[in-house]
Amino acid sequence: MDILSQLWGGFAVAALPINLALIVAGCFAGTLIGALPGLGPVNGVAILIPLTFAFGLDATSSMILLSAVYYGCMYGGRISAILLNIPGDEPAIMTTLDGYPMAKKGQAADALAISGVASFIGATLATIGLTLFAPLLAKAAIYFGPADYFALYVMAFATIGGITGTDPRKTLLAALLGLMLGTVGLDPSTGVARYTFGSFNLYDGFDPIVALVGLFAISEILFFLEEKAHGGGLVPPGRVFPRLARVKEGLGASLRGSLIGFIAGILPGAGASLGAVMSYSFEKRLSDKGTFGTGDPRGVAAPEAGNNAASGGALIPMLTLGVPGSGTTAVMLAMLISLNIQPGPLLFERSPDLVWGLVAALYLANFVLLILNLPLIGLFTRVLGMPAWILMPLVVAISYLGVYAITHAAFDLLVMVGFGILGFVLRKLDFSLVPVVLGLLLGMDMENNLRRALSISGGDFMILLQSPIAIGLYVVTGLFLCFSLWLTRRAGGTEMPASKD
Amino acid sequence: MTDRLAGLFFLLLATGYVWLSAGYTAGFGDPLGPAIFPRVIGIPAILLGLSLMIWPQHSADWAGSAGLIRQGTAIALLLGYALLLEPLGFVPTSFAAILGLGLLMGAPPVGGFLTAALAAPGLYILFDRLMGLPLPLLGTWFG
Repeated sequence: MDILSQLWGGFAVAALPINLALIVAGCFAGTLIGALPGLGPVNGVAILIPLTFAFGLDATSSMILLSAVYYGCMYGGRISAILLNIPGDEPAIMTTLDGYPMAKKGQAADALAISGVASFIGATLATIGLTLFAPLLAKAAIYFGPADYFALYVMAFATIGGITGTDPRKTLLAALLGLMLGTVGLDPSTGVARYTFGSFNLYDGFDPIVALVGLFAISEILFFLEEKAHGGGLVPPGRVFPRLARVKEGLGASLRGSLIGFIAGILPGAGASLGAVMSYSFEKRLSDKGTFGTGDPRGVAAPEAGNNAASGGALIPMLTLGVPGSGTTAVMLAMLISLNIQPGPLLFERSPDLVWGLVAALYLANFVLLILNLPLIGLFTRVLGMPAWILMPLVVAISYLGVYAITHAAFDLLVMVGFGILGFVLRKLDFSLVPVVLGLLLGMDMENNLRRALSISGGDFMILLQSPIAIGLYVVTGLFLCFSLWLTRRAGGTEMPASKD
Repeated sequence: MTDRLAGLFFLLLATGYVWLSAGYTAGFGDPLGPAIFPRVIGIPAILLGLSLMIWPQHSADWAGSAGLIRQGTAIALLLGYALLLEPLGFVPTSFAAILGLGLLMGAPPVGGFLTAALAAPGLYILFDRLMGLPLPLLGTWFG
């Protein structure tokens, strides 16, 4: 009952006219960003964060806007996957397998409708899961001490991106690089300047928002300049109205995919790519009669439900533990931290309006997205024809404008370009960027917890291994790393997409 | 090959990082001080860098020479945009950057020019005038 009354309070927040307008605008913009090949939820949210700051939206409204964009991108990613055979973002890779063949057979409208409904089912079930489980996890997390938090961060770094195809050593190195970058600046407890090389510009360290925009938006531009030829060309959507019978064929797969995706989303670091991959593989094993890969509706429904459910699931560890479950939630965490809101177990007590307003907004966003996605699909498909030479330079200009508006320092623009080059090189070398972002974001907290634990023990490192929670977390981390090493060996390191979502 | 280079880079970076931490001395009431965390993260980075150098797994494919030239030009444009934004102002620098990047991405000259000519003042009006984000219309060089 408690949850219901709090959720009711959340709806009162989400239904304020400004928030409703932000939900609709966010869903619309998100679907567009998601539909455009190359720009995924991480880029979309990263570019918008500086703007939300600059407009001075309050924390709740900013989070509502960003979550609507996030959900919208996850819906939109499937449009270019189905019509162009180009996944708009990485989790949509699995949707291309059956979606594009369906489109080629003239069933694009069916495929778009099936995936729209599957996205709705996945995201809505995940939001219900978020409503039920997040408060429970938050209650459990209150028992965490400094050593347990340190172990939790170790787990987050070791697992994020680690389960996908990338070499686990690279994931760890990327996390360590992020942590190193995070130590630049004045040490908060002693005031010692670390790694600033005497430059006053670096005394505050690297602004995570500036770093994010560089890592994701600017590196995307450099990638784009490399490969100019793309995919198989736009398939005309064919018949205008989807057939209800075909949509029904995907319902079972949507429900199964939602459950798998939700679990994948909760695991720190696994994210939507894994949710989509696992749901698709499971569905294929369960119901493939030689039709998967040739345009089977279940092969469209399962990964779409899976990736949308994972996006909702990924919000749970982000809100309750302060450890994001995916790249986009890592970016949203940066936003919260920059707003001086500390996500974690106490967030539910300290900022119920924010948490429950956000959850309620997600329910509303799902309905808005379903409404937008079924009748307005033609509009979104038309955007896919917009040439990149118009779009990409505008992304650059908006990134500059956003970063400059919050910092008013040309130095930060140079830092942003620097991070863009870094992001490009790392992605080329098959390093995932998400651990870098996490390191930069969580480094200070991880360090504080370590130092707090060590000052309790008088400098004895054994304190890190003395609590059952911490030991449990290290065991999970170890198992996870072994599992991902095994996966890498089995897949030859290439089969699964590196997590960027 | 690229993995070996990346491993070497991380090895050198992390070694330098740990070495510099020796200069950070502990303060009052903080027995371990600001050097402990850099060591906790620097030492595993040294080992992982070394391991990547010895057992590489992956080799990156870089763009051909045309692609590399486009990327290099784009980086020069982006740095120029950052450095000239304040002296020249938002509208002229954005115009040049949007035009330059558009041409790099294969815009037809007229189309690229029109996009930049509409977008640079358009973004200024939208964000500065309508939404109230202060942006420099013209920079310090124009008074």
